[in-house]
Amino acid sequence: MNIGTIGHVDHGKTTLTAAITKVLASRGGAKFTDYAQIDKAPEEKARGITINSAHVEYETDKRHYGHIDCPGHADYIKNMITGAAQMDGAIIVVSATDGQMPQTREHLLLARQVGVKKLVVFINKVDQIDDPEMLELVDMEIREVLSTYSFDGENTPIIMGSALAALEGRDEHIGASKIEELVKACDDWLDLPARDFDKPFLMPIEDVFSISGRGTVCTGRVERGIANKGMDVEIVGLEMFHKELDRGEPGDNMGALLRGVKREQVRRGQVIMAPGSMKAVKKVLAQIYVLTKDEGGRFAPFMAGYRPQLFVRTADITVHLTFPEGTLNAEEKMVMPGDNVEMVCDLHTDVAAEPGTRFTLREGGKTIGTGVVTKILQ
Amino acid sequence: MLTLFRYATSSSRRTCHSTLRYYATSETPKPPIKLVAELRKLTETSVVKAREALVASNNDVNGALAWLQKDLATSGVKKAAKVEGRATREGMIGVSVLSRGAGANTGTVRAGMVEVNCETDFVGRNELFGKLVRDIAHTAAFIAERPSNFKDHTSSIWPYQVDALLEAPLLSQSNPTSSHFSTVRTAIRDTISKVGENIELRRAVASVIDPNPHQNLEGYRVASYLHGSLALPNVGRMGILAFLRLRSPHLSKLLASDTFSADLDKLERSLARQIAGFDTQYVSVVEGVDAQQADASISAALYEQPFMMFASEEPVRNVLKMWTEEREMGQTGGDLESNGIHVHEFAKWTVGEPVE
Repeated sequence: MNIGTIGHVDHGKTTLTAAITKVLASRGGAKFTDYAQIDKAPEEKARGITINSAHVEYETDKRHYGHIDCPGHADYIKNMITGAAQMDGAIIVVSATDGQMPQTREHLLLARQVGVKKLVVFINKVDQIDDPEMLELVDMEIREVLSTYSFDGENTPIIMGSALAALEGRDEHIGASKIEELVKACDDWLDLPARDFDKPFLMPIEDVFSISGRGTVCTGRVERGIANKGMDVEIVGLEMFHKELDRGEPGDNMGALLRGVKREQVRRGQVIMAPGSMKAVKKVLAQIYVLTKDEGGRFAPFMAGYRPQLFVRTADITVHLTFPEGTLNAEEKMVMPGDNVEMVCDLHTDVAAEPGTRFTLREGGKTIGTGVVTKILQ
Repeated sequence: MLTLFRYATSSSRRTCHSTLRYYATSETPKPPIKLVAELRKLTETSVVKAREALVASNNDVNGALAWLQKDLATSGVKKAAKVEGRATREGMIGVSVLSRGAGANTGTVRAGMVEVNCETDFVGRNELFGKLVRDIAHTAAFIAERPSNFKDHTSSIWPYQVDALLEAPLLSQSNPTSSHFSTVRTAIRDTISKVGENIELRRAVASVIDPNPHQNLEGYRVASYLHGSLALPNVGRMGILAFLRLRSPHLSKLLASDTFSADLDKLERSLARQIAGFDTQYVSVVEGVDAQQADASISAALYEQPFMMFASEEPVRNVLKMWTEEREMGQTGGDLESNGIHVHEFAKWTVGEPVE
């Protein structure tokens, strides 16, 4: 699973990340990555979009973690939209000397926005505070603010330690052992996202053939879930059918023979999936990143009413973009290349989608934006 | 005071814990945790500072507030010195238009725009920071005077000395009667203490022009636009301030009409958005460049761009001409530049962009 560290620049999130790799490296679960390597946050490209983010990986007794550390809000949002590193959980880092700060609010709002449901708090630099009551206060305040932003303030694990001590290999009781405790809290508290294997079956249709004497065959790459021969499936797009399938697993390129379905009834862009696991939608709310000129996107801004092509899996649909209800001056609001924006997508034809479904927006043969569905409206 | 205290804490941890207790209890009672929490809610000061203030003021919250206020002057300087020099590439641009010019108030133009930088966009998005930017823009617009030694008489938007603005008293837009006095510099320092990031006032411009003595023939206006605003409408990631000139033989009558004013508003907003949305660098094509530069200069020239933000394929120049004719603004003589509505100058800023 993927987790990220979020916190104030001076509260030691980079030190903490380095400390985690150090402590876990001592038992072979990671490769030690020092402060300088993480702090650089190299620029990378995901779906043509430039993101600053540092990645490390480590393994606990139970899990494998991909850990990201980004310098800014915009980078985390781009990670979420492109799916480059979808955060399943987060570690909020707060210094014991400062306690939570005004921007802690922005940190928690971000976590909410990128879909993190549970987080773990690390209170750093506890060696600079001598009074246990003060630590209690920091703890109390954090729980309060967590609850304000609808996290589980009461039960969220809060670990107090010193990342620097762990990194420098001193004061074991606040250093390495607290890092161990933090990692354990992540294992126990953060929920694993469902694996592709465990999800309901879904295969986007790439091509449709008619094989004489057999019937209609659809080919595609299984996105998730397992299909067994003889299983009922649903074709979502324009119409629905219940038919038989061979076994397929995520990543398989396969053909599915659909009994009793005519070639004309199925087409590219529809999906074959476990019955009832997703709905055909016509209108969704989505978080969209609009590519800059340098990323190959548009030169000019666009306004509500813009109609690019929306590509989701193998489907290609005209979409009508508008601002969510209640947007101030919506008729004059413009979206510029480089903007992160929430918009309502009115789809010309139905398509199978759910919150978390990613898509790209194209116009005249070039990608101008990428987005993720956040809510189904219709 | 702070260093001494820290020294005592760190030594006590290893050797003599009792010494510290002695230090804390003998001179003043240890502040109850509830008071520390209360103080933090009131001031957003750090945990350590909040306790220090209560110790110093004998657990009197009002006394502690006064202590903190005084301490900000010294510790704020220290904190600012600590973060000084750290790169600030994020932040916000604030625009304040106190008087839009012809047709509004006395016809005076009074507006300002500032860029304030911080280290991360988390702080940039915070409301505390946004209010600081808004108030600095408000201050710039409020106190700006056209410099007497300003040589370039054709300019209508001129740079405001950052150092001078830093020493100006901060005027709060939301609370103009606030008795709390601070300069722009100290207000920035206070915010640095609260958010712990380096904050810098990077640049400022102002536009202050008295009404033309022939108000009936010529008037000045400012248009503005902010892109990427969050909670506060006057603060965003890109800011436009444009200076316009109106000429008509019967300007006063036109400006008195509600329809004309509403249309003018709409046109101005569209112009400001056009400048923001496209790669606009000049009002019209710059003369005397070679062919290749001329091409680039045409797409960067506002008057040559299709006026998309006014839902038109026509170049801005033509749209303005038609707009003027439709409203029978008439001639005061000469070409477009001296008739009807003319964009005289604009400033276009994006947060963190390189500045010459």
